[in-house]
Amino acid sequence: MYIYLPIAEVSMHIGIIIGLGGGVGFLSGLFGVGGGFLMTPLLIFFGIPPAVAVSTEANQIVASSVSGVLAHMRRGNVDFKMGGILMAGGVIGSSLGVALFSFLREIGQIDLVIQLSYVVFLGIIGALMLTESVRTILRSRKPGAVRGKLHQHNWLHGLPLKMRFRRSKLYISAIMPLLLGAFVGILAAIMGVGGGFIMVPAMIYLLGMPTSVVVGTSLFQIIFVTANVTLLQSIQTQTVDFVLAGLLLFGAVIGAQFGSRAGALLRGEQLRGLLALMVLAVCIKIGYDLVVRPEDLLSVELLR
Amino acid sequence: MTRASASPRDISLLVAGLVAGLAALVLAMPAAQAAPSRLVADLSDSHVDITSSYHGTDLILFGAYEGVAGDDLILIVEGPASDIAQRRKEKKAGIWVNVETLIWQQAPSFYHMFATDDLAVIADEAALRAADVGPLASGLMLMTGEAGGGNGHGGGGLTAAGATQAGSTAQESGLSRNMVNNGLWQLQPEQISTQQDMLFRAKLSLPSNVPTGDYLVRVLHFRGGVAISEKTTDMNIKKAGLSALIYRFAHDYSVFYGLFAIAFAVASGWLAAVAFRRG
Repeated sequence: MYIYLPIAEVSMHIGIIIGLGGGVGFLSGLFGVGGGFLMTPLLIFFGIPPAVAVSTEANQIVASSVSGVLAHMRRGNVDFKMGGILMAGGVIGSSLGVALFSFLREIGQIDLVIQLSYVVFLGIIGALMLTESVRTILRSRKPGAVRGKLHQHNWLHGLPLKMRFRRSKLYISAIMPLLLGAFVGILAAIMGVGGGFIMVPAMIYLLGMPTSVVVGTSLFQIIFVTANVTLLQSIQTQTVDFVLAGLLLFGAVIGAQFGSRAGALLRGEQLRGLLALMVLAVCIKIGYDLVVRPEDLLSVELLR
Repeated sequence: MTRASASPRDISLLVAGLVAGLAALVLAMPAAQAAPSRLVADLSDSHVDITSSYHGTDLILFGAYEGVAGDDLILIVEGPASDIAQRRKEKKAGIWVNVETLIWQQAPSFYHMFATDDLAVIADEAALRAADVGPLASGLMLMTGEAGGGNGHGGGGLTAAGATQAGSTAQESGLSRNMVNNGLWQLQPEQISTQQDMLFRAKLSLPSNVPTGDYLVRVLHFRGGVAISEKTTDMNIKKAGLSALIYRFAHDYSVFYGLFAIAFAVASGWLAAVAFRRG
Protein backbone atom coordinates (compact mmCIF):
# COMPACT_ATOMS: atom_id res chain seq x y z
CA MET A 1 0.00 0.00 0.00
CA TYR A 2 1.44 3.32 -1.06
CA ILE A 3 0.96 6.54 0.82
CA TYR A 4 1.38 10.00 -0.69
CA LEU A 5 3.46 12.09 1.70
CA PRO A 6 1.91 15.57 1.58
CA ILE A 7 5.04 17.62 2.35
CA ALA A 8 7.72 15.45 0.74
CA GLU A 9 5.39 15.27 -2.32
CA VAL A 10 6.39 11.73 -3.17
CA SER A 11 4.53 8.48 -2.66
CA MET A 12 6.24 5.71 -0.79
CA HIS A 13 5.26 2.19 0.21
CA ILE A 14 3.98 2.23 3.77
CA GLY A 15 5.88 -1.02 4.47
CA ILE A 16 9.18 0.61 3.50
CA ILE A 17 8.59 3.56 5.83
CA ILE A 18 7.62 1.41 8.82
CA GLY A 19 10.41 -1.05 7.97
CA LEU A 20 12.96 1.78 7.94
CA GLY A 21 11.63 3.00 11.27
CA GLY A 22 11.75 -0.53 12.70
CA GLY A 23 15.25 -1.29 11.43
CA VAL A 24 16.78 1.96 12.64
CA GLY A 25 14.73 1.68 15.85
CA PHE A 26 16.18 -1.79 16.47
CA LEU A 27 19.74 -0.49 16.06
CA SER A 28 19.07 2.55 18.23
CA GLY A 29 17.63 0.32 20.95
CA LEU A 30 20.60 -2.04 20.61
CA PHE A 31 23.25 0.66 20.86
CA GLY A 32 21.38 3.24 22.88
CA VAL A 33 21.72 5.95 20.23
CA GLY A 34 19.09 8.11 18.54
CA GLY A 35 19.65 6.74 15.07
CA GLY A 36 19.26 10.06 13.25
CA PHE A 37 22.66 9.61 11.62
CA LEU A 38 21.31 6.44 9.96
CA MET A 39 17.75 7.54 9.26
CA THR A 40 18.45 10.85 7.51
CA PRO A 41 20.84 9.37 4.89
CA LEU A 42 18.43 6.43 4.37
CA LEU A 43 15.48 8.77 3.78
CA ILE A 44 17.51 10.72 1.23
CA PHE A 45 18.55 7.43 -0.39
CA PHE A 46 14.86 6.46 -0.71
CA GLY A 47 14.04 9.66 -2.59
CA ILE A 48 12.87 12.00 0.17
CA PRO A 49 14.20 15.51 -0.60
CA PRO A 50 17.18 16.26 1.72
CA ALA A 51 15.48 19.28 3.30
CA VAL A 52 12.38 17.22 4.13
CA ALA A 53 14.50 14.34 5.45
CA VAL A 54 16.45 16.58 7.84
CA SER A 55 13.42 18.48 9.19
CA THR A 56 11.21 15.39 9.48
CA GLU A 57 13.93 13.45 11.27
CA ALA A 58 14.22 16.28 13.81
CA ASN A 59 10.49 15.89 14.46
CA GLN A 60 10.84 12.14 14.93
CA ILE A 61 13.81 12.52 17.31
CA VAL A 62 11.64 14.73 19.56
CA ALA A 63 9.39 11.72 20.08
CA SER A 64 12.11 9.10 20.55
CA SER A 65 14.00 11.36 23.00
CA VAL A 66 10.87 11.99 25.08
CA SER A 67 10.28 8.27 25.16
CA GLY A 68 13.90 7.60 26.15
CA VAL A 69 14.33 10.35 28.74
CA LEU A 70 11.38 9.18 30.87
CA ALA A 71 13.18 6.00 31.93
CA HIS A 72 16.33 8.00 32.82
CA MET A 73 14.27 10.52 34.81
CA ARG A 74 12.73 7.75 36.90
CA ARG A 75 16.21 6.56 37.81
CA GLY A 76 17.33 10.10 38.54
CA ASN A 77 19.92 10.02 35.75
CA VAL A 78 19.25 13.51 34.39
CA ASP A 79 21.28 16.53 35.45
CA PHE A 80 18.66 19.21 34.79
CA LYS A 81 20.98 22.12 35.58
CA MET A 82 23.62 20.90 33.13
CA GLY A 83 20.88 19.93 30.67
CA GLY A 84 19.40 23.42 30.92
CA ILE A 85 22.69 25.10 30.05
CA LEU A 86 23.39 22.66 27.19
CA MET A 87 19.83 23.31 26.01
CA ALA A 88 20.27 27.10 26.07
CA GLY A 89 23.36 26.69 23.90
CA GLY A 90 21.57 24.13 21.76
CA VAL A 91 18.59 26.39 21.04
CA ILE A 92 20.93 29.21 19.96
CA GLY A 93 23.05 26.83 17.89
CA SER A 94 20.15 25.09 16.19
CA SER A 95 18.57 28.46 15.32
CA LEU A 96 21.83 29.43 13.63
CA GLY A 97 21.91 25.98 12.01
CA VAL A 98 18.44 26.37 10.52
CA ALA A 99 19.36 29.80 9.13
CA LEU A 100 22.55 28.36 7.67
CA PHE A 101 20.55 25.46 6.23
CA SER A 102 18.15 27.84 4.42
CA PHE A 103 21.05 29.84 3.04
CA LEU A 104 22.92 26.77 1.79
CA ARG A 105 19.75 25.41 0.25
CA GLU A 106 19.22 28.67 -1.61
CA ILE A 107 22.70 28.61 -3.13
CA GLY A 108 22.42 24.92 -4.03
CA GLN A 109 25.11 23.61 -1.69
CA ILE A 110 23.05 22.00 1.07
CA ASP A 111 23.57 18.44 -0.18
CA LEU A 112 27.33 18.93 -0.20
CA VAL A 113 27.43 20.40 3.32
CA ILE A 114 25.20 17.61 4.69
CA GLN A 115 27.46 14.99 3.10
CA LEU A 116 30.68 16.64 4.28
CA SER A 117 29.35 17.01 7.85
CA TYR A 118 28.49 13.32 7.87
CA VAL A 119 31.89 12.26 6.55
CA VAL A 120 33.86 14.46 8.96
CA PHE A 121 31.92 13.88 12.17
CA LEU A 122 31.00 10.24 11.68
CA GLY A 123 34.60 9.58 10.65
CA ILE A 124 36.05 11.20 13.78
CA ILE A 125 33.54 9.70 16.23
CA GLY A 126 33.63 6.27 14.59
CA ALA A 127 37.42 6.09 14.64
CA LEU A 128 37.59 7.24 18.29
CA MET A 129 34.94 4.74 19.38
CA LEU A 130 36.57 1.90 17.50
CA THR A 131 40.03 2.45 19.00
CA GLU A 132 38.53 2.89 22.47
CA SER A 133 36.54 -0.34 22.31
CA VAL A 134 39.39 -2.35 20.79
CA ARG A 135 41.69 -1.07 23.54
CA THR A 136 39.15 -2.01 26.23
CA ILE A 137 38.67 -5.48 24.77
CA LEU A 138 42.45 -6.04 24.65
CA ARG A 139 42.96 -4.66 28.15
CA SER A 140 40.26 -6.88 29.63
CA ARG A 141 42.22 -9.89 28.41
CA LYS A 142 45.38 -8.64 30.13
CA PRO A 143 45.04 -8.95 33.90
CA GLY A 144 46.48 -6.39 36.27
CA ALA A 145 46.22 -3.42 33.87
CA VAL A 146 46.36 0.03 35.45
CA ARG A 147 43.26 2.25 35.19
CA GLY A 148 43.75 5.79 34.06
CA LYS A 149 42.94 8.84 36.16
CA LEU A 150 39.20 9.50 36.31
CA HIS A 151 39.34 13.26 36.32
CA GLN A 152 42.00 15.62 35.11
CA HIS A 153 42.40 19.33 35.57
CA ASN A 154 43.17 21.37 32.46
CA TRP A 155 42.81 24.92 31.07
CA LEU A 156 39.01 24.53 30.88
CA HIS A 157 38.87 24.80 34.63
CA GLY A 158 40.36 28.27 34.50
CA LEU A 159 37.37 29.81 32.64
CA PRO A 160 35.11 32.25 34.49
CA LEU A 161 31.37 31.85 35.35
CA LYS A 162 31.96 28.75 37.42
CA MET A 163 28.88 26.82 38.49
CA ARG A 164 28.28 23.85 40.72
CA PHE A 165 26.53 20.88 39.05
CA ARG A 166 25.56 18.72 42.00
CA ARG A 167 24.14 15.80 40.04
CA SER A 168 27.29 15.60 37.88
CA LYS A 169 29.57 16.24 40.88
CA LEU A 170 31.27 19.06 38.95
CA TYR A 171 32.33 22.64 39.60
CA ILE A 172 33.10 24.04 36.17
CA SER A 173 32.56 27.13 34.03
CA ALA A 174 29.15 27.41 32.34
CA ILE A 175 30.82 28.67 29.17
CA MET A 176 32.03 25.23 28.14
CA PRO A 177 28.62 23.43 28.17
CA LEU A 178 27.04 26.51 26.56
CA LEU A 179 29.51 26.39 23.64
CA LEU A 180 29.25 22.62 23.39
CA GLY A 181 25.44 22.87 23.25
CA ALA A 182 25.63 25.55 20.56
CA PHE A 183 28.09 23.57 18.44
CA VAL A 184 26.07 20.35 18.58
CA GLY A 185 22.90 22.39 17.94
CA ILE A 186 24.30 23.71 14.64
CA LEU A 187 25.22 20.18 13.55
CA ALA A 188 21.85 18.78 14.64
CA ALA A 189 20.02 21.34 12.48
CA ILE A 190 22.17 20.69 9.41
CA MET A 191 22.60 16.92 9.66
CA GLY A 192 19.10 15.98 10.83
CA VAL A 193 20.38 14.25 13.94
CA GLY A 194 19.96 14.67 17.68
CA GLY A 195 23.70 14.93 18.07
CA GLY A 196 23.96 12.43 20.93
CA PHE A 197 26.85 10.70 19.20
CA ILE A 198 28.92 13.88 19.64
CA MET A 199 27.30 15.13 22.84
CA VAL A 200 27.79 11.94 24.87
CA PRO A 201 31.55 11.57 24.31
CA ALA A 202 32.03 15.33 24.72
CA MET A 203 30.20 15.24 28.08
CA ILE A 204 32.42 12.42 29.30
CA TYR A 205 35.82 13.51 27.98
CA LEU A 206 35.44 17.29 27.71
CA LEU A 207 33.22 18.16 30.66
CA GLY A 208 34.18 15.16 32.79
CA MET A 209 30.61 14.17 33.66
CA PRO A 210 29.98 10.77 35.26
CA THR A 211 28.79 8.21 32.66
CA SER A 212 25.63 7.44 34.65
CA VAL A 213 24.06 10.82 33.88
CA VAL A 214 25.33 11.57 30.35
CA VAL A 215 22.74 9.65 28.30
CA GLY A 216 19.74 10.95 30.26
CA THR A 217 21.05 14.53 30.23
CA SER A 218 21.89 14.33 26.52
CA LEU A 219 18.40 13.02 25.69
CA PHE A 220 16.85 15.77 27.83
CA GLN A 221 18.57 18.56 25.90
CA ILE A 222 18.04 16.84 22.51
CA ILE A 223 14.26 17.13 23.02
CA PHE A 224 14.50 20.92 23.07
CA VAL A 225 17.06 21.23 20.29
CA THR A 226 15.08 19.04 17.88
CA ALA A 227 11.79 20.69 18.90
CA ASN A 228 13.39 24.04 18.06
CA VAL A 229 14.53 22.70 14.66
CA THR A 230 11.04 21.31 14.00
CA LEU A 231 9.40 24.65 14.77
CA LEU A 232 11.88 26.81 12.84
CA GLN A 233 11.91 24.53 9.78
CA SER A 234 8.09 24.50 9.83
CA ILE A 235 8.04 28.28 9.78
CA GLN A 236 10.90 28.93 7.35
CA THR A 237 10.86 26.10 4.86
CA GLN A 238 7.64 24.08 5.48
CA THR A 239 9.64 20.87 5.18
CA VAL A 240 8.41 18.98 8.26
CA ASP A 241 6.31 16.00 7.12
CA PHE A 242 4.58 14.76 10.23
CA VAL A 243 2.84 11.94 8.35
CA LEU A 244 6.29 10.56 7.49
CA ALA A 245 7.57 11.26 11.02
CA GLY A 246 4.58 9.48 12.57
CA LEU A 247 4.99 6.35 10.44
CA LEU A 248 8.75 6.20 11.08
CA LEU A 249 8.09 6.59 14.78
CA PHE A 250 5.56 3.78 14.80
CA GLY A 251 8.19 1.40 13.39
CA ALA A 252 10.97 2.80 15.57
CA VAL A 253 9.08 2.35 18.85
CA ILE A 254 8.56 -1.36 18.16
CA GLY A 255 12.06 -1.89 16.76
CA ALA A 256 13.69 -0.21 19.77
CA GLN A 257 12.04 -2.67 22.17
CA PHE A 258 13.57 -5.65 20.38
CA GLY A 259 16.86 -3.81 20.02
CA SER A 260 17.25 -3.07 23.72
CA ARG A 261 16.50 -6.72 24.55
CA ALA A 262 19.13 -7.86 22.05
CA GLY A 263 21.56 -5.31 23.49
CA ALA A 264 21.39 -6.98 26.91
CA LEU A 265 23.06 -10.07 25.37
CA LEU A 266 26.25 -8.19 24.42
CA ARG A 267 28.95 -6.51 26.49
CA GLY A 268 29.43 -2.75 26.51
CA GLU A 269 32.73 -2.63 24.65
CA GLN A 270 31.49 -5.14 22.07
CA LEU A 271 28.42 -2.96 21.47
CA ARG A 272 30.56 0.15 21.14
CA GLY A 273 32.85 -1.63 18.69
CA LEU A 274 29.91 -2.70 16.52
CA LEU A 275 28.40 0.78 16.68
CA ALA A 276 31.76 2.24 15.65
CA LEU A 277 31.88 -0.07 12.63
CA MET A 278 28.37 0.96 11.62
CA VAL A 279 29.17 4.66 12.00
CA LEU A 280 32.30 4.21 9.88
CA ALA A 281 30.34 2.28 7.24
CA VAL A 282 27.89 5.19 6.84
CA CYS A 283 30.84 7.62 6.73
CA ILE A 284 32.63 5.60 4.02
CA LYS A 285 29.48 5.19 1.91
CA ILE A 286 28.76 8.94 1.92
CA GLY A 287 32.43 9.78 1.38
CA TYR A 288 32.59 7.39 -1.56
CA ASP A 289 29.58 9.10 -3.17
CA LEU A 290 31.43 12.41 -2.91
CA VAL A 291 34.61 11.28 -4.66
CA VAL A 292 33.23 8.94 -7.33
CA ARG A 293 32.23 10.58 -10.60
CA PRO A 294 28.42 11.03 -10.63
CA GLU A 295 26.50 9.37 -13.44
CA ASP A 296 25.26 12.73 -14.64
CA LEU A 297 27.15 15.92 -13.92
CA LEU A 298 23.99 17.94 -14.47
CA SER A 299 20.98 17.84 -12.17
CA VAL A 300 17.67 19.70 -12.10
CA GLU A 301 15.34 20.96 -9.41
CA LEU A 302 11.87 22.44 -9.91
CA LEU A 303 11.62 25.81 -8.17
CA ARG A 304 8.17 26.86 -7.08
CA MET B 1 -28.25 4.51 -11.56
CA THR B 2 -25.47 2.68 -13.33
CA ARG B 3 -23.27 5.72 -13.05
CA ALA B 4 -23.44 5.75 -9.27
CA SER B 5 -21.82 2.35 -9.09
CA ALA B 6 -19.46 2.73 -12.02
CA SER B 7 -16.98 -0.11 -12.35
CA PRO B 8 -13.87 0.21 -14.57
CA ARG B 9 -15.79 -1.80 -17.18
CA ASP B 10 -18.69 0.67 -17.12
CA ILE B 11 -16.26 3.55 -17.49
CA SER B 12 -14.55 1.99 -20.46
CA LEU B 13 -17.98 1.41 -22.00
CA LEU B 14 -18.82 5.03 -21.33
CA VAL B 15 -15.58 6.16 -22.91
CA ALA B 16 -16.18 3.92 -25.91
CA GLY B 17 -19.69 5.33 -26.18
CA LEU B 18 -18.41 8.88 -26.10
CA VAL B 19 -15.83 8.10 -28.76
CA ALA B 20 -18.48 6.48 -30.93
CA GLY B 21 -20.74 9.50 -30.40
CA LEU B 22 -18.01 11.88 -31.40
CA ALA B 23 -17.23 9.79 -34.41
CA ALA B 24 -20.87 9.81 -35.46
CA LEU B 25 -20.86 13.58 -35.09
CA VAL B 26 -17.84 13.90 -37.33
CA LEU B 27 -19.29 11.52 -39.87
CA ALA B 28 -22.57 13.43 -40.00
CA MET B 29 -20.76 16.63 -40.94
CA PRO B 30 -20.37 17.43 -44.61
CA ALA B 31 -16.80 16.85 -45.66
CA ALA B 32 -15.11 20.16 -46.31
CA GLN B 33 -11.73 19.42 -47.85
CA ALA B 34 -10.39 22.97 -48.07
CA ALA B 35 -11.20 24.10 -44.50
CA PRO B 36 -8.96 23.07 -41.61
CA SER B 37 -9.90 19.58 -40.56
CA ARG B 38 -12.22 19.23 -37.65
CA LEU B 39 -10.69 17.84 -34.50
CA VAL B 40 -12.32 16.85 -31.22
CA ALA B 41 -10.41 15.76 -28.14
CA ASP B 42 -11.26 14.84 -24.58
CA LEU B 43 -9.93 13.11 -21.49
CA SER B 44 -11.35 10.29 -19.43
CA ASP B 45 -10.95 12.63 -16.46
CA SER B 46 -10.12 16.32 -16.59
CA HIS B 47 -9.62 16.62 -12.82
CA VAL B 48 -7.06 14.45 -11.07
CA ASP B 49 -7.06 14.46 -7.28
CA ILE B 50 -3.88 13.61 -5.43
CA THR B 51 -5.11 11.98 -2.25
CA SER B 52 -3.19 10.11 0.46
CA SER B 53 -3.37 6.87 -1.51
CA TYR B 54 -2.17 8.42 -4.80
CA HIS B 55 0.62 6.47 -6.50
CA GLY B 56 0.37 7.54 -10.12
CA THR B 57 -2.69 7.06 -12.30
CA ASP B 58 -3.67 6.40 -15.92
CA LEU B 59 -5.84 8.65 -18.05
CA ILE B 60 -7.29 7.98 -21.49
CA LEU B 61 -6.92 10.76 -24.07
CA PHE B 62 -9.31 10.26 -26.95
CA GLY B 63 -11.08 12.06 -29.75
CA ALA B 64 -11.96 12.14 -33.40
CA TYR B 65 -10.42 13.77 -36.44
CA GLU B 66 -11.14 14.10 -40.15
CA GLY B 67 -8.20 12.22 -41.55
CA VAL B 68 -7.12 10.61 -44.78
CA ALA B 69 -4.70 7.74 -45.13
CA GLY B 70 -1.17 8.90 -44.27
CA ASP B 71 -2.24 11.61 -41.83
CA ASP B 72 -0.50 11.84 -38.46
CA LEU B 73 -1.35 13.06 -35.00
CA ILE B 74 0.85 14.45 -32.24
CA LEU B 75 -0.55 14.73 -28.75
CA ILE B 76 1.15 16.82 -26.07
CA VAL B 77 0.35 16.97 -22.37
CA GLU B 78 1.98 20.03 -20.86
CA GLY B 79 2.17 20.83 -17.14
CA PRO B 80 2.26 24.23 -15.44
CA ALA B 81 5.32 26.39 -16.15
CA SER B 82 7.95 26.42 -13.43
CA ASP B 83 11.46 27.81 -13.02
CA ILE B 84 13.91 24.93 -13.17
CA ALA B 85 17.36 25.16 -11.57
CA GLN B 86 20.03 23.27 -13.46
CA ARG B 87 23.23 22.54 -11.56
CA ARG B 88 26.55 21.38 -12.93
CA LYS B 89 29.10 19.43 -10.92
CA GLU B 90 32.85 19.67 -11.21
CA LYS B 91 35.65 17.99 -9.31
CA LYS B 92 37.14 20.38 -6.76
CA ALA B 93 39.79 19.24 -4.28
CA GLY B 94 38.94 15.62 -4.96
CA ILE B 95 35.16 15.83 -4.49
CA TRP B 96 32.29 16.55 -6.86
CA VAL B 97 30.78 19.94 -6.13
CA ASN B 98 28.00 22.00 -7.74
CA VAL B 99 29.90 24.81 -9.43
CA GLU B 100 27.27 26.44 -11.61
CA THR B 101 23.53 27.02 -11.43
CA LEU B 102 21.40 28.03 -14.38
CA ILE B 103 17.72 28.88 -14.11
CA TRP B 104 15.41 27.86 -16.93
CA GLN B 105 12.58 30.33 -16.67
CA GLN B 106 8.99 29.16 -16.99
CA ALA B 107 9.83 25.77 -18.42
CA PRO B 108 7.12 23.09 -18.56
CA SER B 109 7.20 21.11 -15.30
CA PHE B 110 5.64 18.18 -17.16
CA TYR B 111 5.79 17.34 -20.86
CA HIS B 112 4.63 14.04 -22.32
CA MET B 113 4.34 13.44 -26.07
CA PHE B 114 2.35 10.92 -28.06
CA ALA B 115 2.41 10.39 -31.80
CA THR B 116 1.22 8.07 -34.53
CA ASP B 117 4.77 7.78 -35.93
CA ASP B 118 8.33 8.92 -35.31
CA LEU B 119 8.42 12.71 -35.09
CA ALA B 120 11.07 12.87 -37.81
CA VAL B 121 8.73 10.96 -40.15
CA ILE B 122 5.72 13.16 -39.37
CA ALA B 123 7.38 16.49 -40.18
CA ASP B 124 10.77 18.14 -40.49
CA GLU B 125 12.37 20.02 -37.62
CA ALA B 126 11.30 23.46 -38.83
CA ALA B 127 7.66 22.43 -39.16
CA LEU B 128 7.71 20.82 -35.70
CA ARG B 129 9.24 23.94 -34.22
CA ALA B 130 6.70 26.12 -36.01
CA ALA B 131 3.92 23.99 -34.53
CA ASP B 132 5.55 24.37 -31.08
CA VAL B 133 6.30 20.68 -30.68
CA GLY B 134 8.89 19.91 -27.99
CA PRO B 135 9.38 21.52 -24.59
CA LEU B 136 12.19 23.74 -25.85
CA ALA B 137 10.54 24.71 -29.15
CA SER B 138 9.29 28.09 -27.99
CA GLY B 139 12.79 29.16 -26.88
CA LEU B 140 13.02 29.12 -23.11
CA MET B 141 14.72 31.93 -21.23
CA LEU B 142 17.91 30.84 -19.54
CA MET B 143 19.19 32.85 -16.61
CA THR B 144 22.77 32.39 -15.56
CA GLY B 145 23.55 32.25 -11.88
CA GLU B 146 26.83 32.72 -10.09
CA ALA B 147 29.21 29.85 -9.50
CA GLY B 148 27.44 27.33 -7.35
CA GLY B 149 24.70 29.79 -6.55
CA GLY B 150 21.89 31.70 -8.13
CA ASN B 151 18.45 31.74 -6.59
CA GLY B 152 17.38 34.24 -9.20
CA HIS B 153 17.85 37.37 -7.10
CA GLY B 154 20.32 39.58 -8.89
CA GLY B 155 23.82 38.73 -10.00
CA GLY B 156 22.58 36.90 -13.09
CA GLY B 157 22.36 38.15 -16.62
CA LEU B 158 19.50 37.24 -18.91
CA THR B 159 20.17 35.43 -22.13
CA ALA B 160 17.70 33.83 -24.45
CA ALA B 161 18.37 30.17 -24.95
CA GLY B 162 17.95 29.01 -28.45
CA ALA B 163 19.61 26.67 -30.88
CA THR B 164 21.60 29.63 -32.11
CA GLN B 165 23.30 30.35 -28.81
CA ALA B 166 26.72 28.77 -28.57
CA GLY B 167 27.11 26.30 -25.74
CA SER B 168 23.41 26.11 -25.00
CA THR B 169 23.00 22.73 -26.66
CA ALA B 170 24.73 20.81 -23.88
CA GLN B 171 22.56 22.57 -21.33
CA GLU B 172 19.39 21.90 -23.35
CA SER B 173 20.14 18.24 -23.79
CA GLY B 174 21.11 18.02 -20.10
CA LEU B 175 17.78 19.54 -19.12
CA SER B 176 15.90 17.11 -21.36
CA ARG B 177 17.90 14.13 -20.08
CA ASN B 178 17.39 15.04 -16.40
CA MET B 179 13.68 15.73 -16.85
CA VAL B 180 13.17 12.47 -18.76
CA ASN B 181 15.07 10.54 -16.08
CA ASN B 182 12.89 11.87 -13.29
CA GLY B 183 9.80 10.91 -15.29
CA LEU B 184 8.45 14.41 -15.80
CA TRP B 185 9.24 14.68 -19.49
CA GLN B 186 8.54 12.05 -22.14
CA LEU B 187 10.22 13.04 -25.39
CA GLN B 188 10.26 9.69 -27.21
CA PRO B 189 6.58 9.84 -28.22
CA GLU B 190 4.35 7.06 -26.98
CA GLN B 191 1.97 5.37 -29.39
CA ILE B 192 -1.40 6.82 -30.37
CA SER B 193 -3.78 4.17 -31.67
CA THR B 194 -6.08 5.28 -34.47
CA GLN B 195 -9.05 3.70 -36.19
CA GLN B 196 -9.89 4.32 -39.84
CA ASP B 197 -8.30 7.80 -39.78
CA MET B 198 -11.21 8.87 -37.64
CA LEU B 199 -10.74 7.94 -33.99
CA PHE B 200 -7.68 8.20 -31.82
CA ARG B 201 -6.85 7.08 -28.37
CA ALA B 202 -3.77 7.18 -26.11
CA LYS B 203 -3.00 6.26 -22.54
CA LEU B 204 -1.34 8.87 -20.32
CA SER B 205 0.40 7.45 -17.25
CA LEU B 206 0.88 10.12 -14.62
CA PRO B 207 3.89 9.42 -12.36
CA SER B 208 3.69 9.61 -8.57
CA ASN B 209 5.79 12.80 -8.52
CA VAL B 210 3.47 14.65 -10.94
CA PRO B 211 3.45 18.43 -10.40
CA THR B 212 0.12 19.95 -9.41
CA GLY B 213 -1.57 22.74 -11.32
CA ASP B 214 -3.29 23.52 -14.62
CA TYR B 215 -2.39 21.32 -17.56
CA LEU B 216 -2.91 21.80 -21.27
CA VAL B 217 -3.57 18.90 -23.62
CA ARG B 218 -2.82 19.73 -27.27
CA VAL B 219 -3.73 17.58 -30.26
CA LEU B 220 -2.06 18.43 -33.59
CA HIS B 221 -3.21 17.02 -36.92
CA PHE B 222 -0.43 16.73 -39.51
CA ARG B 223 -0.91 16.18 -43.23
CA GLY B 224 2.01 16.08 -45.63
CA GLY B 225 4.42 17.36 -43.00
CA VAL B 226 2.30 20.40 -42.07
CA ALA B 227 0.08 20.97 -39.05
CA ILE B 228 -3.37 21.58 -40.49
CA SER B 229 -5.36 21.67 -37.30
CA GLU B 230 -4.90 21.96 -33.54
CA LYS B 231 -7.22 21.46 -30.61
CA THR B 232 -6.54 22.09 -26.93
CA THR B 233 -8.29 20.96 -23.80
CA ASP B 234 -7.65 21.65 -20.12
CA MET B 235 -6.81 19.37 -17.28
CA ASN B 236 -6.27 20.10 -13.61
CA ILE B 237 -4.22 18.16 -11.07
CA LYS B 238 -4.51 19.10 -7.43
CA LYS B 239 -3.93 17.76 -3.96
CA ALA B 240 -7.19 16.67 -2.34
CA GLY B 241 -8.52 15.23 0.87
CA LEU B 242 -6.21 14.76 3.83
CA SER B 243 -2.98 15.43 1.90
CA ALA B 244 -4.34 18.79 0.71
CA LEU B 245 -5.45 19.63 4.23
CA ILE B 246 -2.01 18.87 5.72
CA TYR B 247 -0.23 20.76 2.93
CA ARG B 248 -2.41 23.86 3.44
CA PHE B 249 -2.00 23.62 7.23
CA ALA B 250 1.80 23.48 6.85
CA HIS B 251 1.91 26.44 4.46
CA ASP B 252 -0.86 28.74 5.72
CA TYR B 253 -0.45 28.24 9.47
CA SER B 254 3.19 27.20 9.65
CA VAL B 255 3.70 28.26 13.31
CA PHE B 256 0.73 26.20 14.47
CA TYR B 257 1.80 23.34 12.23
CA GLY B 258 5.26 23.32 13.85
CA LEU B 259 3.77 23.44 17.36
CA PHE B 260 1.34 20.70 16.41
CA ALA B 261 4.15 18.51 15.05
CA ILE B 262 6.07 18.96 18.32
CA ALA B 263 3.01 18.23 20.48
CA PHE B 264 2.27 15.16 18.36
CA ALA B 265 5.85 13.91 18.80
CA VAL B 266 5.91 14.54 22.56
CA ALA B 267 2.54 12.83 23.02
CA SER B 268 3.45 9.77 20.96
CA GLY B 269 6.88 9.49 22.60
CA TRP B 270 5.30 9.59 26.03
CA LEU B 271 2.61 7.12 24.96
CA ALA B 272 5.24 4.70 23.63
CA ALA B 273 7.21 4.86 26.89
CA VAL B 274 4.09 4.20 28.97
CA ALA B 275 2.83 1.40 26.72
CA PHE B 276 6.10 -0.51 26.81
CA ARG B 277 6.71 -0.01 30.52
CA ARG B 278 3.47 -1.85 31.28
CA GLY B 279 3.95 -4.46 28.60
